[in-house]
Amino acid sequence: MANRWGYPDLGFGIGLRSVHFEYILKNLPQIDWFEILSENYMDTGGRPLHVLDQVAERYPVVLHGVSLSVGSTDPINFEYLKKLKALALRIKAHWISDHLCWTGVAGLNTHDLLPMPYTDEALRHVIARVKAIQEVLERPIALENASTYLEFSASTWAESEFLATVAEEADCGILLDVNNVYVSAFNHGFDAKQYIDRIPQDRVVQMHLAGHTNKGTHILDTHSDYVIDTVWQLYRHAHRRLGGVATLLEWDANIPSFDVVHGEALKARQFREQEDEQRTPERNEVRAYGD
Amino acid sequence: MATDPGLERIQRWMQACILKQGTYEEAITSEVAAKAIPAGEAREMVLPSKTLTASERLDIYRDMYLLRMEEALGIDYPGLKHFLGEDGFLGLVARYVDVHPSRTYTLNRLGDHLPEFAGTLDDLSKKEFCQELARLELALTLVFDAPESKPLSEDAVRAVPAEAWETAMLKPIEAFRLLAFNYPVSRYLGAVDGENPFPRIARKKTWVAAYRRNYNSQRMDLSEPAFELLSAIAAGAPLGAAIEGILTRKWRPPVTGRQLFQWFRDWMAEGLFQAVELVLQPEVVAGPRREPESAAGAGEGS
Repeated sequence: MANRWGYPDLGFGIGLRSVHFEYILKNLPQIDWFEILSENYMDTGGRPLHVLDQVAERYPVVLHGVSLSVGSTDPINFEYLKKLKALALRIKAHWISDHLCWTGVAGLNTHDLLPMPYTDEALRHVIARVKAIQEVLERPIALENASTYLEFSASTWAESEFLATVAEEADCGILLDVNNVYVSAFNHGFDAKQYIDRIPQDRVVQMHLAGHTNKGTHILDTHSDYVIDTVWQLYRHAHRRLGGVATLLEWDANIPSFDVVHGEALKARQFREQEDEQRTPERNEVRAYGD
Repeated sequence: MATDPGLERIQRWMQACILKQGTYEEAITSEVAAKAIPAGEAREMVLPSKTLTASERLDIYRDMYLLRMEEALGIDYPGLKHFLGEDGFLGLVARYVDVHPSRTYTLNRLGDHLPEFAGTLDDLSKKEFCQELARLELALTLVFDAPESKPLSEDAVRAVPAEAWETAMLKPIEAFRLLAFNYPVSRYLGAVDGENPFPRIARKKTWVAAYRRNYNSQRMDLSEPAFELLSAIAAGAPLGAAIEGILTRKWRPPVTGRQLFQWFRDWMAEGLFQAVELVLQPEVVAGPRREPESAAGAGEGS
């Protein structure tokens, strides 16, 4: 199912990382698209921006931020939004995403994706801010479910319902991070498939996949390894429900060669195709009965 | 039991706990945290999981904060990290972010106060060296992020009439800093990068230009007269006066005309200047004022 804004299924991309700059510019590899970490390119006239301009000339790009702090009770940083909007226009970003989280308050920044208390007050707060942000950016944004390691006793909403309600009420998109669903499900003991089933289909514009670190008692979202089989199965489940959605592999620590990262991203294509092949006969069968 | 003190208080409390170093108990009883949520109430704020207590879950965020700050500052200060070692650098970072937590959305400028902060630490090994090393590394990050300005082209240089050079002014690129040190910090950084052997950490006057070329930060070691000449040029002195100021001073060894040509050749080749500003002759400019203007084709886009 296509999303309501007609954002395209860009295929299978990876995050643009500086360790791959040279390889990409030299080899111009066949890859569907790149996701760009917005803040890395917003206040620099250095090499990253120079590389980004060249990448954006050749590949579809999407902006993904970590500093929007949409849940913070601090005032919205309009200076940040202005720069974000300018960057999006400069590189013709297909869409802009960030996280359902807060990163700091009282003028400080922890540079972490901190969990929200899922309360009615927080819901109203986030909806209002997303609306204000979208007004400045003049486009719908996509909010990603962050990996979280604690839950507040104040919460009265399940995270999936909170995210779905924010998306519906603020009229924004969702970046469904399948690995984050798995990580948070492990850490908090909820059902990962049920989480995905609660996400409104027509609002999902992108999916994320990544590796993580299992510490036994909890899982850390480290983006430092291959995607585990259980997460691939979860991705398949998500694809079954959502249809073709632009999919991106994140790898941010112990980053291997471009080919390895890209190869991991392309596994998503196999899982999608397997799922589609299994579904096709069923569809035909139903159509036959319908006749 | 559900505890909801409101979104703002929850966020102020959690952030205070993350920023406060030490134990969980020290964090939740710290002044800032307790002001947001009293310690008794705070113990009910976070739910335990099947495998972790509430304090262990909060500690995940508290532990990651310092590691994240260390990672960010380690990228900007690899030389200082090398000198202090992993533990020594982490200790410095912990003290630094306690005083200078991030106040912006970008980590790029997190380390802007590190040189001055290092200078305040009396127990820091070789404090003055550390401070100078940090100053050089900060300059390299500043030139890395500085706005882009195209270096002077050969055509633009050729376009300047020979007689105009004496009163012309060379404008450095935006990504350019001049630094003077009492320690061989540039050589130390070169050693960390494998460019040269490690120098002895002893007082020795050194001079460095930090700049960006081909989108990468660069260092150029300078002699004292070369540093003085570049400083005069960067301050806007006409070339003739700047050169005369160097040639009329006594240097050991003396500065020769040949050296001057070599310096300018190297500086031009490294793209240190973005424009030649000419002073128009009085007969060309209306009125008595002499006004500078950029040489045709000497600036952006040439």
